[in-house]
Amino acid sequence: MTNQLNESLISSLIENNAKVLDIGCGTGDLLYYLEKKKNINGQGIEISQKGVQESVSKGLSVIQGDADIDLVNFPDNAFDVVILSRTLQATHKPKEVLIEMLRIGKKCIISIPNFGYWKYRLQMLFYGIMPMTKTLSEPWYSTPNIHLCTIKDFINMCEILNISINATYRNTNYKIKKINNPNSYTNNLLSIEGIFVISKK
Amino acid sequence: MGTTGPSSIDINTKLQYGMKFPIFTIKDIVNTQIALIDSLKINQLFSVIGGSMGGMQVLEWASNHPTRIYSAIPIATSYRHSAQNIAFHEVGRQAIMNDPNWNKGNYYSHEQKPRHGLSVARMIAHITYLSEGAFQKKFGRDMQSKVLSWGFEADFQVESYLRHQGTSFVDRFDANSYLYITRAMDYFDLTSKYNGDLSVAFKNTKCKFLIVSFTSDWLFPSSESLAIVKALNKTASDISFVEVISDKGHDSFLLEVEGFYQILSGFISGAARKRGL
Repeated sequence: MTNQLNESLISSLIENNAKVLDIGCGTGDLLYYLEKKKNINGQGIEISQKGVQESVSKGLSVIQGDADIDLVNFPDNAFDVVILSRTLQATHKPKEVLIEMLRIGKKCIISIPNFGYWKYRLQMLFYGIMPMTKTLSEPWYSTPNIHLCTIKDFINMCEILNISINATYRNTNYKIKKINNPNSYTNNLLSIEGIFVISKK
Repeated sequence: MGTTGPSSIDINTKLQYGMKFPIFTIKDIVNTQIALIDSLKINQLFSVIGGSMGGMQVLEWASNHPTRIYSAIPIATSYRHSAQNIAFHEVGRQAIMNDPNWNKGNYYSHEQKPRHGLSVARMIAHITYLSEGAFQKKFGRDMQSKVLSWGFEADFQVESYLRHQGTSFVDRFDANSYLYITRAMDYFDLTSKYNGDLSVAFKNTKCKFLIVSFTSDWLFPSSESLAIVKALNKTASDISFVEVISDKGHDSFLLEVEGFYQILSGFISGAARKRGL
């Protein structure tokens, strides 16, 4: 259900016939949805052979590759929109990935789990263990999420890298809400994930 | 061995062409295919698919006849032969040409053909088609018998296997054709017209691509396919690439490898749907 909300939000942020890159596209569900809804010219990158296999079977164009290594192969401004959905925290070099995304995409849509979410803070406070929930469900020693951060952390990095945050959204499991003050204390506390539309300044 | 070659009869002399047959290129092969589809009044092929030397033809199609194909599937291939690949082919050719029965290519009317040379060429080539891991797993140091020959007989199973590969090959392949075909692959370089810039070679390409490589293929490693992906990223869209996990080396594209057929059929079904077929 969160996926459906995200899919329709991302779709609303993309023009018809746009050239779109989905980094970490999995089995291609988002790209498939966007092709149907917005007639996009879609391209995916996915690290797993299985994911590429399933995506290609859907008729999608997907390259087997790694966000940390293979974004350099795309030319500047190759895409109207680059999407990085719940993947940044799993990359080895999130800063470099972000810089490359903004080089190859005129506009980027990025979503990250927010480690500042109130439930995680309470778990740490009361139990003193690394938080585990439905969203962050893997134990600390085997989780692919090696670079977790909070919304505030992400916004601070954007400032350092001269990245413009054009819009922010909060996903509340029932609806998507546009956030006017992304850097607020409440946003960092209440959002289970941060959804940003960013571009170079 | 193709439609016509050095073992074909020259209608003027009523004898085999032998070394009189002209050196041909991958471009020539594809031009022949173009002539065929022209005569069949086919405007555009749905897909061209090929592995290794066939993959070179696919790339030639995509680069130089971009409007004639809807999709291209180059498998386990490269846009040009590397120095190591040329070197292996040269050893094979030397084996043939140094066989005393090769007789400068004039062996068709003789009883003795350059079987030994061709057999050795095949043995070398066959090693390049497998992976070291697969070789070790299949043969290891297994012996043919408990007793060594203490000489140069086929003591090891792998020796016996290679000798068999060689001798069974000569029954179905022409030695001169081996020279010409390996030469065509060596001469192939999609970037020769473009100062080594592969993306320029694909600048007019419009077709969908599925590029496939195999993890244990060291003759046409994944790095070669990735160079093609990188060049295509600069000028084209609609590119898919997958590196299939396999321990069967370059031969993978001829064998049942898990996931390989699925990705091919998935791509072809998807492309067919998009094409309205």
